[in-house]
Amino acid sequence: MQTSSSLSSSSSDSKPQMKEHCDHQVDCLKMIQLILDGEATDQQLARLKANLVSCQPCIQMYHLEQEVKELLTKRMEKKCCPEQLVATIKSKILTFS
Amino acid sequence: MSDTPTRDDQDRTGMPDHGMPDHGGPSGPDHLLPDGGPVDQPSADTPARRYTDEQKYQVFNKEFMPHIDSMYNFAFRLTTDEDDANDLVQDTYLKAFRFISSFEQGTNAKAWLFRILKNSFINDYRKKSKEPAKVDYQDVETTYNSEDAESEHTVDLRAESVSDLIGDEVATALNSLPVDFRTVIILCDIEGFTYEEMAKILDIPIGTVRSRLHRARNLLKEKLRDYASSMGYNEESEE
Repeated sequence: MQTSSSLSSSSSDSKPQMKEHCDHQVDCLKMIQLILDGEATDQQLARLKANLVSCQPCIQMYHLEQEVKELLTKRMEKKCCPEQLVATIKSKILTFS
Repeated sequence: MSDTPTRDDQDRTGMPDHGMPDHGGPSGPDHLLPDGGPVDQPSADTPARRYTDEQKYQVFNKEFMPHIDSMYNFAFRLTTDEDDANDLVQDTYLKAFRFISSFEQGTNAKAWLFRILKNSFINDYRKKSKEPAKVDYQDVETTYNSEDAESEHTVDLRAESVSDLIGDEVATALNSLPVDFRTVIILCDIEGFTYEEMAKILDIPIGTVRSRLHRARNLLKEKLRDYASSMGYNEESEE
């Protein structure tokens, strides 16, 4: 758990400095995806929480990944099975066995 | 192929007959078990269940039919065609019924069904698909399993740029991905399967699920970016 070396030790008022660039964006991105997929460890969750107040690229990636996931889950039409097909399947299995 | 392969054995073997032979050969229905339950090694103590005819219909109606909308949606997203989706779903459900004795009641029926559907799609269906296979399955395996740095990147795109896209536009972007990438995104983001379930449905190791998803999402974001910028959604992003 190493935070910024220029210690922002005391209160929550003094925020750690916001990073504008990040050298491990790809790793952070992978971690963000694990988190949004519900597959992350507590440790990874904690790391992201810390990054979300201190790392600009992480914040942006997080929002983007969240948005894209939401586009897929909420905005795409869910096709329903036609009634006719349900009926066909049900009648076909009756002639089995 | 004389022994029933364990799950791990199946991972890289190219999976021969997932089309499920009628003759119930040695590599028969056990292949189907997504073992959502305790059935990790199909063995002597997990024999095929003996359902009475009545029980078969009961399992079919109670455990399989409730997933038919999800299955249809999956089939439609794979084939991008309603008639083909119809055929695929029907084939899958008939197979599921035929091999119902290899399904253990109370285990993950949805994953079990999805696995059959995906195998049917690859084995039977894709050959006669109207849509030309954009990328050969084996190709994808070899190209994308290598951890080449090229595919390890982030896509320069802002959340605001895509937030105005509508469902059809997202669907178009998704459909333009090679089917194996499309598949992981559908399973994860649309159907909400866990990585572990996806590994079983797709017969790939969990690490491959993770990396394929990562790549699929990068590809999708590139498509979305192209789409958004062609629609002019990008204009206000101050860089």
